[in-house]
Amino acid sequence: MSKGQSKQEEINKTIRAEDNWEPIGPTSMPEMSDLRRWDMRLLKTYKPFYAPFCDLCCFCTYGKCDLTGDNKGACGINISGQQGRWALMFALMGCSAHGAHARHLIDYLIEKHGENHKIDLGGQVAVEAPHIRTVMGLKPETLGDLKKAIEYVEKGIIHGVSATHFGQEGNELDFESKSLHIGMLDHVAMEAADIAQTIGFKFPTSVAETPLAALGWGAVDKSKPVVTCVGHNAAVATVMIDYFMKAGTYDQVEVTGICCTAIDNTRYSDKTKIIGPLSKQLFFLKTGIADLIITDEQCVRCDIPDLARASGSALIATSDKISYGLDDVTHKEIDEIVRMITQEGKQVLIRDVDKAGEVAAKVLPIVAKGRKKEIVTKEKATELADACKKCMLCDRVCPNLLDISGAVSEVKEGKFEKMADLFAKCIGCGKCEQECAKGVPIITIMQAAASWDTFNIRVGRGPIHDVEIRKVGAPIVLGTIPGIIAIVGCSNYPEEIEEIAEIAEEFAKRKYIVVLSGCAAMAAGMKKDAEGKTIYDKFKPDFDAGGVLNVGSCVANAHITGAAMKVANIFAKLPLRANYEVIADYILNRVGAVGLAWGAYSQKAFSIGTGCNRLGIPVVLGPHSAKYRRLYLSRKEEDDWTVMDGRKRELINTEEPSPEHLSIVVESKERAIITMAKLCIRKNDTAQGRQLKLNHYISLYKQHMGSLPDDLQNFVRNDKDIPIVYKKEVVEYLKSVGWHPKPLLTLPTLIGTYESNIPIDAVVK
Amino acid sequence: MSIPLHHVNVLTGLKGCRVIEDPQALGKIIKKAERPLVVFGPRCLDIAMGEKLAVQYGVEIAKALGAAICATAHTKKKLLELGVVPDSAYDAVEIINHLKDPNWKGVKKQGNHDVVMFLGMRTDFGNQGLSTLKHYAPHLKTVTLCPYVYPHASFSLANLKADKWKEYLEILINSLN
Repeated sequence: MSKGQSKQEEINKTIRAEDNWEPIGPTSMPEMSDLRRWDMRLLKTYKPFYAPFCDLCCFCTYGKCDLTGDNKGACGINISGQQGRWALMFALMGCSAHGAHARHLIDYLIEKHGENHKIDLGGQVAVEAPHIRTVMGLKPETLGDLKKAIEYVEKGIIHGVSATHFGQEGNELDFESKSLHIGMLDHVAMEAADIAQTIGFKFPTSVAETPLAALGWGAVDKSKPVVTCVGHNAAVATVMIDYFMKAGTYDQVEVTGICCTAIDNTRYSDKTKIIGPLSKQLFFLKTGIADLIITDEQCVRCDIPDLARASGSALIATSDKISYGLDDVTHKEIDEIVRMITQEGKQVLIRDVDKAGEVAAKVLPIVAKGRKKEIVTKEKATELADACKKCMLCDRVCPNLLDISGAVSEVKEGKFEKMADLFAKCIGCGKCEQECAKGVPIITIMQAAASWDTFNIRVGRGPIHDVEIRKVGAPIVLGTIPGIIAIVGCSNYPEEIEEIAEIAEEFAKRKYIVVLSGCAAMAAGMKKDAEGKTIYDKFKPDFDAGGVLNVGSCVANAHITGAAMKVANIFAKLPLRANYEVIADYILNRVGAVGLAWGAYSQKAFSIGTGCNRLGIPVVLGPHSAKYRRLYLSRKEEDDWTVMDGRKRELINTEEPSPEHLSIVVESKERAIITMAKLCIRKNDTAQGRQLKLNHYISLYKQHMGSLPDDLQNFVRNDKDIPIVYKKEVVEYLKSVGWHPKPLLTLPTLIGTYESNIPIDAVVK
Repeated sequence: MSIPLHHVNVLTGLKGCRVIEDPQALGKIIKKAERPLVVFGPRCLDIAMGEKLAVQYGVEIAKALGAAICATAHTKKKLLELGVVPDSAYDAVEIINHLKDPNWKGVKKQGNHDVVMFLGMRTDFGNQGLSTLKHYAPHLKTVTLCPYVYPHASFSLANLKADKWKEYLEILINSLN
């Protein structure tokens, strides 16, 4: 439905239209199809590429329907429509996870501090919420305003889910447009969540050099009572830590975590310790080092009650989204719950943050008493491996295609090198153990092969500072800082976990800005050089050339995309307010930012990536992400790369595929590095900037591919773009392929290349 | 229906590959190709088969057929070291994206390919790419040369042990020469 007067009045009230911090742009609180023309323009160049997992549709009682060839389902949907529907469902699941997370945090913090609790992100962050400003047109001032943002996201999710129902949307491009919309809303939700927890829990903000925190299972002092928080919501941990501090017992316990709760715990107290990313969840919980496990939400294993029981750990579940069939004891008195856990050995669900935190603090020292926490020795591991008959069923079910049986066979002979290599590649699903007919506890055996070293990680710093944007805005847009490399996402890595640190270091050394978050931020800290230094020890934590910074947990990803928006706003002076299309167009054409989700597995990662894509930020994915089934690819030589020259008001066929793709899967680390360097190229690059970017692209390509790039001719506009160090060979190469100079242009924009209400004036300020 | 070695690749559908157990029969199929293409993935760089690497077997097949070569991932460097200049170097999904288009000119600009052989991709990644071609490229046949069942290929090898795979490829190459 189009917006009527009453709906517009409601929007104006929500965004306080009378506030005049910026003029209101064309799309305040856009509905599902309000940015459809922008999406269709993107999808014209970056067409959906589908790799179906299933040939069938089994969504309704008409099915199963075979969708191969020209077949349609009983409802009329074809294979592309079905893949588009999957994409929308993935985006909705991801956006909902972040949105519900934000909703819980905001509701809790409003109970605690009131709706009028002010948003203050410190002296360095005046543009506090670029996504909420740009998408909604609201400049949020209080927790109550963040609640408005979540209510807006929730409305969008309802319409999105509705479109996936039988007999609704059927066209793949419209499914993709809706996915892009939901991805955009996801960034609003993440931003609201992280701002809420930053102001509510007093996380670091307006500080670049946050402390270093301990990382790795080896960092845990298991002689102390150990609590391990698993998931993404640090609320309960903050209450528990407060309790320990008040009681003066904080230094007598170990507060640890896995996945994003762990990252956010360190933002609350840098004395907490991060065990590691999601891929180490099963491994660590099986050690029994945790006397108490607290689960909250997202990326938490479904079998933690069984794991806790097997390892003798107590368990408190705290989220209504993961209740495990446990008794809900929220209504009971704290002492009664403590008794149930410590004396009856019950696992419980407590849906009250404050109560759960206090119960955990009281339970921990009691359950820790008398527990033996012994790591499997090499001798024991050899004994455990002895039952292996090398049937190789473990190899067949391994989603990472690892040679598990080979490693177990060597352990039988007392050799652990192969098992150590296997552990570095293990994604921690445990399917191998499940499949083993002989009951060989493969993940447990890994305890004897794993490194128990201690690493460190920079505590998540939250938003990028406005002053940092002022400093780097021009070099980024001109290309003299070659790019922003955002390494994000989960830990479903195809090879060793150390690859993340290697990729990050490669770009940091080349003076790109490297930004990390979530499990990727942890993985980056899990490699030391010969001097024992991690990447966080070696590089400055500034948003500047050669900086390596951790913004925080996965909801802090909104700060990375938000930084690109701030470049458009703070450097280029484009208004953010309700101005999404203009800001996305600016980023696509002028801000050389690219994301890497090397181990993406979750629907959240899919949704985050899709939100990046609508904003004009390309994303490179690891090989497992082929199972997401959808990419956005161009065909570099065949596609139309015409843009509007904003200054001359002329359409120019640039013949330049930049950025070449919006979403691409690559198979190897080497190819990922090359692809990321290439995807930082933007049409707006100055000759000096383009030289620098091509210098890195050529250098990396030669290093990993052994020759000049065979698409170099696509990115050299004239001889001023050619890096001096490669001049001679590049000139010879260009001559050999019949290269010709390309038209020069200024202020490139897609506005004017498709039907849009946006005037070109809006993008050329 | 043959079950793939890696269960992540189990077919959910009706249209699966034909497993060709006889290498000479496969030789007859691929010899008929007018514009064959061999696509190399990175795993063929690491697999030793006696004194040779898997990539070298792929090169021998391509040479015997006069097939074009596409290097994906970072395989180009090794191919160059072997003295083979690939006709193209794409990311795997890029070449697959091109192959979908029946009007694409192919890596040699002589028209799209009719038979595409794959060697050395991760099986899960490769099977996904083959799914794209199964659904969107009815104009071409896909052949996998790795020792695993790829359900989304047109023609696949069976799940083979290393020695049997080596033997298979050697017989196949002989049948092409």
